[in-house]
Amino acid sequence: MLTITNLQASVEGKEILKGINLTIGKGEIHAIMGPNGSGKSTLASVLAGREDYEITGGSVNFDGHDLLEMSPEERAREGVFLAFQYPVEVPGVSNTNFLKAAVNEVRKHRGLDPMEPKAFLNMMREKMALVEMDQAMVSRSVNEGFSGGEKKRNEIFQMAMLEPKLSILDETDSGLDIDALKIVANGVNKLRSKETSTIVITHYQRLLDYIVPDFVHVLYKGRIVKSGGKELALELEAKGYDWVKELALEEAGV
Amino acid sequence: MQDLQEKLISGFQTVETALNGQAQTPIHVIRKQALKRFAELGFPTIRHEEWKYTNLMSVVKQDYVLGLQTAPNLTKTDIEPFLMPDVEANVLVFVNGTYSADLSTIISDKGVEVMPLSEAFKKKTATVEKHFAQYAAWQNDAMLALNTAFALNGAYIEVAKGAVIEEPFHLLYVNDSRKQSTFAPARNLVIVGANAEATIVESVHTLVSGANVGLTNLVSELVLADNAKLSHYKVQNDVEQSHFVGAIHAHQEATSVLNTVVVTLSGGVVRNNLNAVLAGKAADTHFYGLYLVNGKTLVDNHTLADHAVAHCTSNELYKGIMDDKATGVFNGKIMVRPDAQKTLAYQSNRNILLSPNATVNTKPQLEIFADDVKCSHGCTSGQLDDESLFYLRARGLDKEQARALLLYAFAGEITEKIELEPLRERLESIIAERLHQELL
Repeated sequence: MLTITNLQASVEGKEILKGINLTIGKGEIHAIMGPNGSGKSTLASVLAGREDYEITGGSVNFDGHDLLEMSPEERAREGVFLAFQYPVEVPGVSNTNFLKAAVNEVRKHRGLDPMEPKAFLNMMREKMALVEMDQAMVSRSVNEGFSGGEKKRNEIFQMAMLEPKLSILDETDSGLDIDALKIVANGVNKLRSKETSTIVITHYQRLLDYIVPDFVHVLYKGRIVKSGGKELALELEAKGYDWVKELALEEAGV
Repeated sequence: MQDLQEKLISGFQTVETALNGQAQTPIHVIRKQALKRFAELGFPTIRHEEWKYTNLMSVVKQDYVLGLQTAPNLTKTDIEPFLMPDVEANVLVFVNGTYSADLSTIISDKGVEVMPLSEAFKKKTATVEKHFAQYAAWQNDAMLALNTAFALNGAYIEVAKGAVIEEPFHLLYVNDSRKQSTFAPARNLVIVGANAEATIVESVHTLVSGANVGLTNLVSELVLADNAKLSHYKVQNDVEQSHFVGAIHAHQEATSVLNTVVVTLSGGVVRNNLNAVLAGKAADTHFYGLYLVNGKTLVDNHTLADHAVAHCTSNELYKGIMDDKATGVFNGKIMVRPDAQKTLAYQSNRNILLSPNATVNTKPQLEIFADDVKCSHGCTSGQLDDESLFYLRARGLDKEQARALLLYAFAGEITEKIELEPLRERLESIIAERLHQELL
């Protein structure tokens, strides 16, 4: 599904990603953990095509395509979905109209006709239930006046509507209370399939109690310093990130 | 070539002789005083603070004829494109400043007196004399003095106490400059009685050929009695060879509500003054404006919310989208007089520049002489928000679609204030089409 090879990226001349290697297979869930400033969100942004970052080396292959050559919209249409850490408020654009435009763009790319209004509404209703969104929320402007939890639920709702191949959840758990966290995790789990992959970026182990990963990677100072199974998350929780920092120093031979 | 100022002054004498018996009336005395004042002041230049960013010199140096001295013959077919389809409206048509009964349609027959101002001078003399030029203070405003001098025709609408007029009044001004560049003045007087309600739509349409241009000078005085409600929509979607200098002067008594929306989509030089005096307790005024312009269009909005007494509210939002070499000017003044305690006054001006050659000059002015008030103002000018663009693109919309969607939404915050649904829908579809074309 996704092969990241020696990926390096910088912003305003400052190197953030210093050679990431990561392979994600179909149907897998990978968690990327790490302390603040380790480059987790940069990795998510680079994969989604945010233009603030300069790619200084390496490559990313997504389903046979050179991902880094594609515009953000092409990536979205090919099936990459980024659930934003800070979803943007778009006043004046209703969730429904926005999603209709987005869904039809993705369909067009796949050689499908625009959805019939009735089929679209049925799909909306079905996906809304996944994240317990009500009609009022969907009718409102995109994220405008939404609480933190509502914004994150709306991200997962959009993800459900767009049916991506690869979903990247960028600190989707941040700012969520336990009930909202469960709703979001439940939505993600229901969308899980053998054909789709997920990257869960998080600072805390908490989310991984609900979205159980197949692999856990620890990112520190722009490199993956340790990879393991789901038990690695628990180990991190117990030992803290200082343990990772020591690991990194050892690896560097200091 | 005689300059326009001289030409208008001599044109006045000719028009005056045609007034016959009316030349001695109090109204005509005001006209003569106003003409004298216009002669003294001359056309405003950019040295005048109120005209700092809007240079009228190239506008007034054209070789205009005085519209009142022309007699173009237009047919219903000519004005068909300017009408609002799907709206049962009273339509008053003025061609080069003169009322055309043939082209006009008046359907409201209860609770309102509608007629050309020329007729109201004779039939409604006392009421006209009570209100005419009482709110639009021309003494220090050359363009207003000019309009007052040539206040011979326009619309007269008097809504009776308690009457709710469902059908809007579409005041339609055609400037026919096909034969020769034309200066067309018009003057409206609208009186909305206590507890009465009405809706007015104003639009100007210029017909040109060759290098001709049209200049329209349109002033409305709006009087709202206690608890009256008036919606006033000004639609400016004229040809680029048209210029417009106009003003709305509203006077609001207690608990009256004025809702104004000015939408400018095209034109040459467009200057709109909008003044409301909140003269009665708890009067409420709303100023909304949208200017979405390209090419070399210049749109200048000068507004004044004048809080004269306590407990009044003014709420203002003007938004601009400028492309190519277009220029926007916004000058919004909030005046809170010493007696106007408990005033609530809000003002905001937001602009998006789509081209490096587009400009906007925005200036809020607050003059507050009362101490127990809540006033706020703010202005922003910039490009579309990159983060919003990225968000939409990350969901599969291409860059142009994302831009169009964001701009449409930006403009929608103003168009949604138009309560006359067919008009709002029509403007929104024009805007959608414009954004689509411009961005692809």
